[in-house]
Amino acid sequence: MDAFNHLMEGFANALSPEYLFLALVGVMLGTAVGVVPGLGSSMAVALLLPITFHLDPVGAFIMFAGVYYGGLFGDSTAAILMNTPGQGSAIATAIEGHRMARRGRAPQALATAAIGAFIGAIVSTTLVAFFSPAIVELALQFGPAEYFALTVFAFVATSSVVSHSVVRGLVALGIGLTISMVGIDGLSGAERFTLGIPQLFEGLSIITVTVALLAVGEVLHVAATSHASKGEDGSLRRSGTPWLGRADLRRTLPAWGRGTLFGLPFGSIPAGGAEIPTFLAFGTERKLAARRARRGTGADEFGDGAIEGVAAPEAAASATAGTAMGTLLGLGLPTSATAAIMLAAFQQYGMQPGPLLFERDGDLVWALLASLFIGSVMLLILNLPFAPLWAKLLLVPKPYMYAGIAVFSSLGVYAAASSMVDLWLMLILGLLALMMRRFDIPLAPVLIAVVLGPVAELELRRALAVGQGDVSVLVDSGITVGIYGLLVAIGLTVAIGRVRARRAARGKAPVEAGRG
Amino acid sequence: MSTDTTSPARAPEPSAPPSRPSWWRGRTELLVAALVLGLAGFIAVQTATMPVPPGTEPPGPRFFPTLVAIFMGGVGIALTVQVVLRPARTAAEEAPAAPVAEDGATNEADESTKAGETSGDGGAAEGTGARTAETGEEAPVRIDWRRLGLVVAALVVFILLLQPVGWLLSAALLFFGVAYAMGSRRILFDIVLSLVFSSLIQLAFVAGLGLNLPSGILGGIF
Repeated sequence: MDAFNHLMEGFANALSPEYLFLALVGVMLGTAVGVVPGLGSSMAVALLLPITFHLDPVGAFIMFAGVYYGGLFGDSTAAILMNTPGQGSAIATAIEGHRMARRGRAPQALATAAIGAFIGAIVSTTLVAFFSPAIVELALQFGPAEYFALTVFAFVATSSVVSHSVVRGLVALGIGLTISMVGIDGLSGAERFTLGIPQLFEGLSIITVTVALLAVGEVLHVAATSHASKGEDGSLRRSGTPWLGRADLRRTLPAWGRGTLFGLPFGSIPAGGAEIPTFLAFGTERKLAARRARRGTGADEFGDGAIEGVAAPEAAASATAGTAMGTLLGLGLPTSATAAIMLAAFQQYGMQPGPLLFERDGDLVWALLASLFIGSVMLLILNLPFAPLWAKLLLVPKPYMYAGIAVFSSLGVYAAASSMVDLWLMLILGLLALMMRRFDIPLAPVLIAVVLGPVAELELRRALAVGQGDVSVLVDSGITVGIYGLLVAIGLTVAIGRVRARRAARGKAPVEAGRG
Repeated sequence: MSTDTTSPARAPEPSAPPSRPSWWRGRTELLVAALVLGLAGFIAVQTATMPVPPGTEPPGPRFFPTLVAIFMGGVGIALTVQVVLRPARTAAEEAPAAPVAEDGATNEADESTKAGETSGDGGAAEGTGARTAETGEEAPVRIDWRRLGLVVAALVVFILLLQPVGWLLSAALLFFGVAYAMGSRRILFDIVLSLVFSSLIQLAFVAGLGLNLPSGILGGIF
């Protein structure tokens, strides 16, 4: 089996002491950032980018993978203990997880989340490893029109399907596209929107944009609104055995499986990350619990700390993260904000993820996939017994935490290009992010648009040049028609699912229970 | 109850004209719509005046910006219409009561009294604001312009000083400034902590990882 041999080679590579150490550092730092209230996995990746600048590519990506997964784990710890999810993917976990913590079942909630994330990660990474040749095969049939269709899919899915308000999602998309157009046009050499500033000729760096929007925006947001924020004082950090009893396991095992199934497909389509699958998984568990309660075969604990409500979304979130990595590597298409930053990191090393990556940098890809397995195991070991220890990070006083984030953001932005212009841009974009958060405009579409905007433009112009101005080339092949069709279908399904999931999240609506 | 009636007078940007607060309430998002429309106009003008190198193939460098300009214009108008027709729920409507006892953890209570005192000097009453709902939905909360201004000032000073003064001192100043803005008042301890923090980063990244940070006036020492 070809993929299996490659994967074994990857393991041989990734199990070297140096890479093991980097993976360990990655998961530790990622978890640490994820635990900080309001910060999630994409910010962990963005903030920790400068650390990897001087590593070799393989080491850098092994560390990145660790940071990515660590951020997910850490974020769910914060979500359960403090009810402060840092990213959309942990919101569903926070709902029941925090209620469990309030009932004194924090250790069980943390263990459920950790094991769920582990299962989702392992299953999805296995699938990615064995199906990546198929993905590459598919990707090789893609021409300009197909890639353009994929970017359109990503734009529409992230901006209108995922965000709460379609118009605000599209506003974010437009801002991102605007940012992405700054710089010298690669095809013609025309200077666009640079205002004559030489430092802008190469465009805005994704690192500056990400750190400014996510990290600096968060610091400014907390500064502007912390007087009204609510938070736990950490009294929920209770010691106790994290072991799940047999009764718990009987309930969580199927929930982990179902959650994973929800997560897998969503990582491979550009629908903005883990928010949709986690809420779908959450809504399903709620409904199943209600049905069990009616039949008298089990209790419905939703609303007061149901363990299934933690297990399923957590597994879904990390399954999404796993398949998102596969899509990024095989198609070169980032399906979430975090994946978009990873893509930028690849480009930093002069590599373009996509079918050719497997040929040209096969060693790196397989070592990276192997390190995803290693990272998941490390995280399970780190989190299962020690989650309460991680929560101690929450004791760092808020002023110092955010002061540290501000300093670290500036470091990352400056170190990327030693440019003062980047620092001013960071401040301006940070204020923009504050304004966007104030008015509930999502940030993820901006990042997706900044990364995919140039791809969309390039492929669109190529396709039109081939078709000599005939617009119908854009829908000429079965693949493009399929992509647009899928977009419409998903749009409809998700719209219905979201309404239901929201209703489910809102508490025990009597209408819902009656219909079940 | 929330007393979010007037916009703070010391607001550094024109958030709302004080003459008709009743209409502007919940509609400050028109600022965003104005920004979007402004961006659309900027792209349109820049695209129209863009010098295109001769011999460029038909879908040239102006093609995509034109699409984006049209898109931004449409979205900006749609947002304007939506905000005018359906203003946001204000904090007063959203939070019927002050934060309940179980949420009022001691250090949070501490902080809000501090914030209340500081903004009391400015003559504006402190609104209770809305709390984060269980679902993660947030109602608009009044902006603390003083704290925000301090953080922004710390960042501006850092950027201005970075090259002449060097990383060590300017980063320490940034750390101290943000910590102070966020309510830390242990001045002496904070100064020491800031210096230790920025030195540690200098050590780890310059000595350890070989990044290039400006050394500034302390260049001779290191």
